[in-house]
Amino acid sequence: MTIAIIDYGMGNVRSLSNALEYVGADVVLSKDPGELAEADRLLLPGVGAFGDAMAAINASGLRSVLDRLALEERKPVLGVCLGMQLFARRSHEHGEHEGLGWLDAEVVPLKVAAPAKVPHVGWNAVSFSGPNAWLFDGLPDGESDYYFVHSFHMICADPVDRIATCDHGGPVTAAVGRDNLIAAQFHPEKSQDNGLQLLTNWMKHQF
Amino acid sequence: MLKKRIIPKFLIRGGRLVKLRRFDDDQREAGNPVSTAKVYDSYGIDELLIVDIDATAQDRVIGSGMVERIAEEVFIPFTAGGGVTSIEAIEALLKVGADKVAINSAAVADPGFVTRAANRFGDQCIVASIDYREEEGGAKRVFTRGGNLPTGMDAGEWALRMQDAHAGEILLTSIDRDGMMNGYDLDLIAALADRLDIPLIASSGAGSLADCKAALDAGASAITISSMFIFTDHSPIKVRTYLQTNGVSVRSQKGSRS
Repeated sequence: MTIAIIDYGMGNVRSLSNALEYVGADVVLSKDPGELAEADRLLLPGVGAFGDAMAAINASGLRSVLDRLALEERKPVLGVCLGMQLFARRSHEHGEHEGLGWLDAEVVPLKVAAPAKVPHVGWNAVSFSGPNAWLFDGLPDGESDYYFVHSFHMICADPVDRIATCDHGGPVTAAVGRDNLIAAQFHPEKSQDNGLQLLTNWMKHQF
Repeated sequence: MLKKRIIPKFLIRGGRLVKLRRFDDDQREAGNPVSTAKVYDSYGIDELLIVDIDATAQDRVIGSGMVERIAEEVFIPFTAGGGVTSIEAIEALLKVGADKVAINSAAVADPGFVTRAANRFGDQCIVASIDYREEEGGAKRVFTRGGNLPTGMDAGEWALRMQDAHAGEILLTSIDRDGMMNGYDLDLIAALADRLDIPLIASSGAGSLADCKAALDAGASAITISSMFIFTDHSPIKVRTYLQTNGVSVRSQKGSRS
């Protein structure tokens, strides 16, 4: 299986490609529309600020290509961390920014009850439910820890789009998805065995 | 619930792992960073902290080659530090696999740098690293450039200023306790953890299992451990088991490829 990591100039791409290769994928890092269209699946990475990332995607000329592959051809896409947040309609990180709008969702600052701290950094156990809970096949519900490092999270208009949550001074959205579009707020590529299992589940899933 | 983190600290000199005492040159060799990282990954540690201790003095950045080799071998998050003074340096480290960068001397020289970096990469990516010494009379003063340059600033006040500058975490290192294995500076940890809204990583002083618990009970979100792992038979597994048995919320999973 060939997975193209979408190269728009931002993101922890080396760690993602290392992890995907470890679980058996052929990985290319690409911004070439032909190469992205040819890949079996796409991965949208992201580290940094939402506004910068959307500006980079729009400047790369890839926006229409990605919309076509994700929404019309319904190619499976996995978003990771900021890559997940980009799926939303809009983010409120340092002002208001329009996102890809693939999911009916907004990205808002994490508001937590003390003594919980923001950023939400470290390992937290996720609980999952709904039609896309297959993402966590083989992992115990409510006991599987993943590595988070973020200050904003996604609120889905339709709760069915929320695959997983964790608790950090209140509920935090941990994974979202609908149809061919799946995304995680945490870093599977940095979450040791649990992360490798999740990547394997995503690669094996028949969309 | 968010788990408390156990973070092995790697001090790098000339591409090797070393240990000093109180930042001074009582140097002991501690192994190869890449193979050691791999061992820790198999133990299921929570994060790694990797600092090139000569980078600032030599006016360069921690080598991205070594960071990249470590990233290839492990599936755990890590923070890289040492001579990070520019947005380009941060970008290069993140690109090869670092998740966060530690900024120390450059933050004191130009506090605006921390804010610019946070705006570009997100607060969560920027760790403000603070080294301090306790003076006679009890004042705790910040030192930069590997403990060589006194700033006269109060460590606690500086930590709060770094939070205001949009650092995502504070890495608090007592120079007096570095390599001494005589316990963490619990007073400052407790005072700061209470006042900070961002996570506090307590560094320097771990010598016993009880020391680790005490620092986390004092309010630290994470502890770094270095000498204790290298010079005693306390492995990360032993620390984790001890903390778990004694009521501290830590991760129970094993590592990668376990």
